[in-house]
Amino acid sequence: MKKAGEKIVITGSGIVCGAGASVAEVWERLEKGETAVAPFTRFDGTKWPVKVAAEVQQDNRFLVSDRKLHKTISRTDMFGIYAAEKALDDSGIPQHREELGAAETEVFNDRTGLIVGTGGGNYHSNYDFLPLMTEAKAAPEGEMVHFGRELGNQVTPMWLLKNLPNNVLCHVGIRGDYKGTNACITNQCVSGVLAVAEGAAAIWNDEADRIAAAGHDAPFEPEMVYYYHRLGLMSGEAPRPFDAARDGTVFGEGAAAVVLERESNARARGAKVLGEFLGFGCCGEASGILDLEPDGDGVKRAIEAALADAGITADQVGFICAHGNGNEASDASESRGIRGVFGENIPPVTAFKWAYGHLIAASGIADLVMVLEALKRGLIPGIATLGEVDLRISPFPISRQATAPRGDVALLICRGFGGMNVVLVVRGVS
Amino acid sequence: MTPMKKRSIAVTGIGMVTPVGNTAADTWSGLLAGKSGAAPTRSFDASGFSTTFSAEVKDFDAESAVPSRKLLKYASRSHRFALAAAAEALADAGIAPTEADSHRWGLAVGAGMLSVGYEDLTVVHDYAAPDGVFDADGLMDPGFPGNVVNFCRWQSNAGQALLTKQFGIRGYATSVHTACASGGQAIGTALKVLRRGQCDFMLAGGFDSMINPTGISGFCLLGALSTDNDNPTGASRPFDATRNGFVLGEGAGFLVLEDWEKAVARGATIYAELAGDGNSLSCYRITDSPPDGNGPIQAIRQALGDAGITAAEIDYVNAHGTSTQMNDRSECAALKAVFDGRIDEVAVSSTKSSMGHLIAAAGAVEAAVCCLAIRHGLAPMNANYHTPDPDCDVNLITDAPRPMRIRAALSNSLGFGGSNSSLVFRHPEEVQA
Repeated sequence: MKKAGEKIVITGSGIVCGAGASVAEVWERLEKGETAVAPFTRFDGTKWPVKVAAEVQQDNRFLVSDRKLHKTISRTDMFGIYAAEKALDDSGIPQHREELGAAETEVFNDRTGLIVGTGGGNYHSNYDFLPLMTEAKAAPEGEMVHFGRELGNQVTPMWLLKNLPNNVLCHVGIRGDYKGTNACITNQCVSGVLAVAEGAAAIWNDEADRIAAAGHDAPFEPEMVYYYHRLGLMSGEAPRPFDAARDGTVFGEGAAAVVLERESNARARGAKVLGEFLGFGCCGEASGILDLEPDGDGVKRAIEAALADAGITADQVGFICAHGNGNEASDASESRGIRGVFGENIPPVTAFKWAYGHLIAASGIADLVMVLEALKRGLIPGIATLGEVDLRISPFPISRQATAPRGDVALLICRGFGGMNVVLVVRGVS
Repeated sequence: MTPMKKRSIAVTGIGMVTPVGNTAADTWSGLLAGKSGAAPTRSFDASGFSTTFSAEVKDFDAESAVPSRKLLKYASRSHRFALAAAAEALADAGIAPTEADSHRWGLAVGAGMLSVGYEDLTVVHDYAAPDGVFDADGLMDPGFPGNVVNFCRWQSNAGQALLTKQFGIRGYATSVHTACASGGQAIGTALKVLRRGQCDFMLAGGFDSMINPTGISGFCLLGALSTDNDNPTGASRPFDATRNGFVLGEGAGFLVLEDWEKAVARGATIYAELAGDGNSLSCYRITDSPPDGNGPIQAIRQALGDAGITAAEIDYVNAHGTSTQMNDRSECAALKAVFDGRIDEVAVSSTKSSMGHLIAAAGAVEAAVCCLAIRHGLAPMNANYHTPDPDCDVNLITDAPRPMRIRAALSNSLGFGGSNSSLVFRHPEEVQA
């Protein structure tokens, strides 16, 4: 990617997940080594093989104060709107806009873009049809005929709107009047990080002057737990990435967001800077929906592409925030990909899913918000759930304890279904 | 910042599966004939719904279109359309990823709404909600036939995963969903990935199928569909004063995009240059279109600017033109604002008048139509147009396709929620190499 010499900086961040509803709250849990994974409460887990998740504790009114909106959006949208607006507020962009004249404001809005990564669909939204289906099954005129005839009497006219995958994009736009370039990315786990990458690219490409990039997801629901368990992807406790006894991941839920803009713009309005976006890589493995390549070749290529895009060398990386979802095959191949690039000179490695579970579409962007905080504090939180390191795959610096980064640049790995690997490179501000 | 010369991107392959034809060639001849894809819905009993017809893909032979039995098992109806249209586009371009260059190939798709199928919902109903109220413990019933293949199929990037696997694409890959703008945004994304040099070749397109009980329900509940049940073929009439809603279609469209110089060097047939992409948010209301076109206007202007041309060079607009009252009025207001005094010189048609609305695939299919229109010097018509609407008094191509040399074409896609996508395609002869 050509960058024309201009730096892209991050001037705001926001997060909500099981570990808290602010950057400070979530960081505190990470630093203390406290996991938010706990017995779930939204349905009765007594008969279930998996009984834990990292649920968001805040209610809808805390997340989105406009109660009228609650009727037309889903739970995942609440998270996304909350995090995106927190990040925008944190950046000072809405406050800055207040000082502009009418004509300037119009240009400002047209040049402010939103890019959102979302999990997309959910199962529970379809449950709105269940009462009608029960009625239809007993109907003398036939199930489908009854379903069609009675639809309007049984299901809210807002049903489709509640379930638009691009709801966060639209509502953050409408609420804030941000009218610039936009995208809604539905690329499973890598959606959120890809939103950040595409946001930076949009500024480099001069499509926008500033971008709010968000990722949100609410994967914790019964059918998701059922299928992840059936596929052998779920653990019964907080995930233990790179541990010899790791046995799967656990669902979290929530959202995170960052605001990106040119350094010159940030400086001109006196904004605080949280970090610099240096580059990214995005590589697929052509391995199908669930499978991944055991040799980690896709991870390796994505890291190499990100380093090249950032214009830095491997030895300049201060630490790695791994995807580390706690699954046998995923962690093993990720480790091979990292070793393929860094050889014997691997910087400290950590991963955060033990703390707030797997946020799926929001996982990587939540990690990014914490990575920026780690760089700011010069402290890499350890993996609190780590027991015995799996030496077959992880002969790299990894620890239960917090360590210090060996430089001010962090590399973040995010992986997803479809054999996807996205790597971001950021520089911190201390 | 000094503006760089943008890398020129060529469209070298086209594939389509639509309600008017299962190949690009059949779709094109269907459009030229003004054929309608609409008919009473056949895939399920829709007789109780407020709209009983739709524009279905007909006689689609998935087994011959998708040779891999394993992929076919995982593929939903819309994934099957995608695999077939993508294969056609690659064959048309005469190029495909090889072991040596697979990492230089990328994929960007506009994927449909991410809701599960009615059949799967029926299973959940029977085990976990026989009385209509969901009880999670029903899924723990030892007899619950939850199907992991179906679970995989409904993943947000499942179509993307099947396409990269089928064709061995190992570079950048993504799925986007901005409702009816998805297909256009996917092609715009592909353009950006190519320009910034992350890939040398992109397969880009969209696929969707919402013609199923839950999919149709969403639109019926909103009152967005035409209810002309006694006249399905005349129901989609964009810009006509009597229009009363859109006709739901399904299908897929794909383009092969590559670096211009490389395409020329290998002697490829170049349909058009994908010259510009623009997108904006209307920030108006979730389902309503801004009456003054504020939103779509910015997307169109961005696309023109990105292409490095002015409105004066556009000869044909393939409109979003859904045939709803609000959309068509809003889009015409936007066109008038952008083309100003030249609006009468720009030929406009909405091919949704024939194909219906392919939702997430619409923008991709209509981009392909623009490329064919440029290549054949023939702009397809806006079928079913009879009664002028003073709010939509643009230069519509009615009655027959219009022979014309098209220097540049504009394709609009305006989605629910206010995402607007505009793409500009240029005649190969207009490109200064």
